[in-house]
Amino acid sequence: MSDFRFLSRALPAALLIAGALLAGPLAAKVAPGDLVAPIADYKIWVTQETQALRDKTQGFVDAIKAGDLARAKALYAPARVHYERIEPIAELFSDLDKSIDVRADDFEKKEADPAFSGFHRLEYGLFAKNSTEGLGPIADRLIADIRELEGRIKTLTVPPEKVVGGAAALIEEVAKTKISGEEDRYSRTDLWDFHANVEGARKIHELLRPLTTREAPKLVKRIDANFAKVDKLLESYAAPGGGFVSYEKVTQKHRNAMRGPVNALAEDLSKLRGTLGLD
Amino acid sequence: MDRDQPRSPARRHLLAGAAGLAAAAALPSGGQAQAQAQAQPPAPAEAPLLIPFEGVHQAGIATPQPYAGLVAAFDLLVESRGELRELFALLTDRARFLTQGGRPPELDPRFPPADSGILGPEIKPERLTVTVSVGASFFDERFGLGRLCPPELVAMPDFPNDALEAERCHGDLLLQLCAETPEETLHALRDIIKHTPDTLSLRWKQEGFASTHGQRRSKPIGAGRNLLGFKDGTANPDIADAAEMARIVWCDGPGWMAGGSYQVVRLIRNYVERWDRTPLGEQQAIFGRQRDSGAPLGRSDEFDDPAYADDPGGARIPLDAHIRLANPDGRRGLASPLIRRAFNYSNGATLSGQLDMGLLFICYQNSLRDGFVAVQQRLNGEPLEEYIKPFGGGYFFALPGVQGPDAILGDTLLREAGISALPTQKEG
Repeated sequence: MSDFRFLSRALPAALLIAGALLAGPLAAKVAPGDLVAPIADYKIWVTQETQALRDKTQGFVDAIKAGDLARAKALYAPARVHYERIEPIAELFSDLDKSIDVRADDFEKKEADPAFSGFHRLEYGLFAKNSTEGLGPIADRLIADIRELEGRIKTLTVPPEKVVGGAAALIEEVAKTKISGEEDRYSRTDLWDFHANVEGARKIHELLRPLTTREAPKLVKRIDANFAKVDKLLESYAAPGGGFVSYEKVTQKHRNAMRGPVNALAEDLSKLRGTLGLD
Repeated sequence: MDRDQPRSPARRHLLAGAAGLAAAAALPSGGQAQAQAQAQPPAPAEAPLLIPFEGVHQAGIATPQPYAGLVAAFDLLVESRGELRELFALLTDRARFLTQGGRPPELDPRFPPADSGILGPEIKPERLTVTVSVGASFFDERFGLGRLCPPELVAMPDFPNDALEAERCHGDLLLQLCAETPEETLHALRDIIKHTPDTLSLRWKQEGFASTHGQRRSKPIGAGRNLLGFKDGTANPDIADAAEMARIVWCDGPGWMAGGSYQVVRLIRNYVERWDRTPLGEQQAIFGRQRDSGAPLGRSDEFDDPAYADDPGGARIPLDAHIRLANPDGRRGLASPLIRRAFNYSNGATLSGQLDMGLLFICYQNSLRDGFVAVQQRLNGEPLEEYIKPFGGGYFFALPGVQGPDAILGDTLLREAGISALPTQKEG
């Protein structure tokens, strides 16, 4: 565990000058023990999400191996969301993160690269090639990777700064590749991932709320307001049977409109670590 | 957005640095016009390092052109007229700080830093200007400003030789950032983007550089060169001539527009490989100038009158030569009521393995019809079109200047629109 330092007394003056970039005055201090409960709760939530990821991915893998194309397609996005929610933790294991979630862009030969694996490789086969053919070994590897991830998370001591910083990291993911529609380019299920990243960030924000409200109530209010704006935009694209419509249906106007609250969340959530005095 | 924060600490640091001190001391009070008169080209080496922020007009228009230029077009994400006003107040604060310099606040290192740091801990501007303009879409139904749209401002149309790319055109708001170094313009851009995450959405951006050939030498040698190797801007009017600028550049109304100027930005690719394979004689006939001296064909000096009266049939300078179409009168500033402030750009390679480079063309005028549009219509179909391809840009209107410490960019417009002069207090 990191040692938690108290916020500098000099901070409030600097904050005033920085103005719009920063939260309100910081009078109280976050004691080292204050973070124990939210971090423990987060670990429990991540563990539950990881179990759901394993179960849903198993169903997805079974459908692929049974050659059931329609079922495999339907199970792709619902399995992935559990990974997207816990990305700040999942990304701590960069070897697994690469084999589970890499995109074709990361390879010089793109989709043709034999090392292209994981969810997006399966997405490419199912949606772009419209077939389950040859996907069996890739599916086997995915579920094996996820079981490995589950084991590693079980024994992980969750670093508080990764949790607190994770809220911003998730929103940076949205800002970088979700709004542009680069994430799920074959299935167009980008909004599922978009929403999952937002949920992951919101979970962290909610767990920290008692502390952040005490330290920076205006910051919390702004964060809440921007989460609400994102929710409203996402709701307008909810699909009747759960989940979301194809990203192709999202108008350019709404894609642009999402940038505002998403970028504002990225700025504000990037202050959580400082607000709670974490290095 | 905080509106009750102290104004930027820039003013305290205004005179930081000996160069800044000397420059500021040399300036008579009362504005940009005089500052610019002192800084007229072609002697930018002696121009002050700080370009005054306040003035009847925005800086960056009738201001000597520094080395680095950058334009960035944005879509507005603000939803109310009150938020629009706050955005202009914020842009004013940032522009004032960035152009006048100072020390960004130092924060607890557990927070993200207040400044990108790419200029070091102290901002010492070198002729940085921030020029804000608005496009036709700014005046659409969102803010109810339609009746205040400048009468000639429309979305830039497609000219016959254009191949406009939608994602590189237009915008609600355009920033023109100019300075002596590219990192200064990038610093300013990043600062403004960091301060406007939920109000401005970047649409497109283009960086450029001024030809150093002739611009930054102790012994000035005329206009700079474009990437086709030819002198560009020889016929530009004298920006230090206030009466001339009033005649050509500055709008005197209607209403809120007084002191502003119509701005045209064009991203024009040059097919340089093909150009470099074209005989010099043909290149010179296409421009109407000798490449090396810049002199009109058959004359000896860059600034010689092309004397078209002696050449009515185009035997010496073809009738469709670029300079002859652009300025049929031939004398400096007479036939083209606009000032050019173009930069060269270089963007990498195309899918065909050719260089993507050309001109970041920028010009200002008080009438689009009499200025850019008239010139472009004369140029339509010119032989040079074989070698150039405009692909982006837009028409904009550069707002009037900020007059006084409490004024903000766009305040004449906001006042005329009935948008409260008092900043709305907002939490945060």
